[in-house]
Amino acid sequence: MGASTVVHIKNMVKKYGDFSAIDNISLEIAKGECFGILGPNGAGKSTLMRVMYGSSQITSGEVFILGLNVKQYMSEIKSRVGVVPQEDGLDTDLSVIENLLIYGSFYNLDKKTISDRADFLLRLIKMEDRTDRAVETLSGGLKRRLAIARGLINEPDILFLDEPTTGLDPQARQWIWDFFKSLKQQKSTLILTTHYMEEAEYLCDRVAIVDHGKILALGKPSDMIREMIGYEVIEFDCSAKDLNYYVEKVKSQNFDYQVYHQTIHVFLKEHQLAKEVIQHFSSDRVVIRRPSLNDVFLRLSGVQLRDHQ
Amino acid sequence: MKHGYQKVWNRNFYYFRKTWLVTAFWTILEPLMYLGAFGYGVGSFINNVDGIAYVDFFFPGLLCTTALLVSYFESTYTNYTKLTHQKLYSSWLLTPLGPKDIIVGEILWGATKGFIGSLGVLIISTIFGLVKTWLFIPALVVVFILAFIFACVGMIFTSYAKNYDSFIFSSSGILIPMTLISGTYFPIDSLYIVLKIVAYAFPLAHAVDIVRGFMTGQAKVIYLFQILYLILFAGILLRFAIFRLKKKLIS
Repeated sequence: MGASTVVHIKNMVKKYGDFSAIDNISLEIAKGECFGILGPNGAGKSTLMRVMYGSSQITSGEVFILGLNVKQYMSEIKSRVGVVPQEDGLDTDLSVIENLLIYGSFYNLDKKTISDRADFLLRLIKMEDRTDRAVETLSGGLKRRLAIARGLINEPDILFLDEPTTGLDPQARQWIWDFFKSLKQQKSTLILTTHYMEEAEYLCDRVAIVDHGKILALGKPSDMIREMIGYEVIEFDCSAKDLNYYVEKVKSQNFDYQVYHQTIHVFLKEHQLAKEVIQHFSSDRVVIRRPSLNDVFLRLSGVQLRDHQ
Repeated sequence: MKHGYQKVWNRNFYYFRKTWLVTAFWTILEPLMYLGAFGYGVGSFINNVDGIAYVDFFFPGLLCTTALLVSYFESTYTNYTKLTHQKLYSSWLLTPLGPKDIIVGEILWGATKGFIGSLGVLIISTIFGLVKTWLFIPALVVVFILAFIFACVGMIFTSYAKNYDSFIFSSSGILIPMTLISGTYFPIDSLYIVLKIVAYAFPLAHAVDIVRGFMTGQAKVIYLFQILYLILFAGILLRFAIFRLKKKLIS
């Protein structure tokens, strides 16, 4: 592993009874990367994360975080990473600032460091005027912001975020995206799970597409889309009895395609023109659009990511 | 550097300081109402029990049940909320705190809160002249051990609980009957022999014996053995509580 590798996973398996939540995954993540784990609910994303931040024991294989073996150095790893769990897990008995101070006290940091850091983080997440608010009275977006600040209290070398924008309204989501962008500019290492493809495309330098505990694809979102899908996608809805006719047409012209239910997806590569496809279809049921990671997922798994939700 | 369990204890103490007034209301004021109703009210109809005034007989039992109930309720309802609804333990486990730090810290806190409740009752009762000897100090030590035991008991029930209603079985099925037969309201000697044996199998009867002895100015050798029995009880329950909760906290 290279000097800048912060996560090194080799042939890792995690079983719950007979069920393999993670089925032989190998993965390396470099310092300063924003890495996304993308997949439907139940794919193994969260388990993979939990193993990385030291909250879940592995069944076999090897996992090194910041050069430390998770089997021996759980506590040391936990003191050097930050985690923002999906359900926030804020202390509803305490105020905004108290959440940061008390959580900070669980690390081996002195009081002054924690309190300076808490003040700094509250300014960073623009909540300095809400320090004494009861957590219970905050909106979902503000709770998530506070949970993110809490994850940063120990100045972690890696920040893990489990579905950081799930359940938030579009404005709150945009705020968090902008915040991550600014963290990225400071060369922070971010590892996040998501089932929003646009989130992964927008934020992540690299993504792993995960399903059934396996990595289906790994790489830069734009490269993946280009290599596996192409430049444009043409979707055409037709009736079941006509499907074969249209598929034959597309096939005879050597276009790359995939059929999903009663929709034909034609993937246009470089230099292929949309009009060469469309002329075969009745035009009112045709959609031309940019390809996304969802197409990659559909291609790899045969199902749409959104079908799982 | 502080131990993990101290950090957990500190978090709870911090919250306690914020909310002490409401806590004092039920942990101290409620027992004092019982003291009035039973100790003085019912007591006025009773000449004496084993040669002492009823209120002097009742008061040590009240110190014990206060400690026991406060620590038990802290370890059940409060900690079950932290475990499930608030998901605090999962958040805390993301820090260097381990499961054992959390379990031991919570039990020590439960014991502390029970102790504080009992101490509050004792302090206010000095006004009524119920504290007559310096032996109240060893009595308070026993009260703490008792509170510790029931903090462990509460944690164990928490590990089995499926919802809040689960605690009704343990409170109405075990805890309340135990407080009734352990020599708190009437002397244990007046019980049928079978119930007497049952009563002494549980820790409360021993604690009440010792605390009552101390508060009435006696220090018997047998108390040493009874205290050892309580400590043994505490040790076994602590281990079992850690074993049970660890399974809940680690996946």
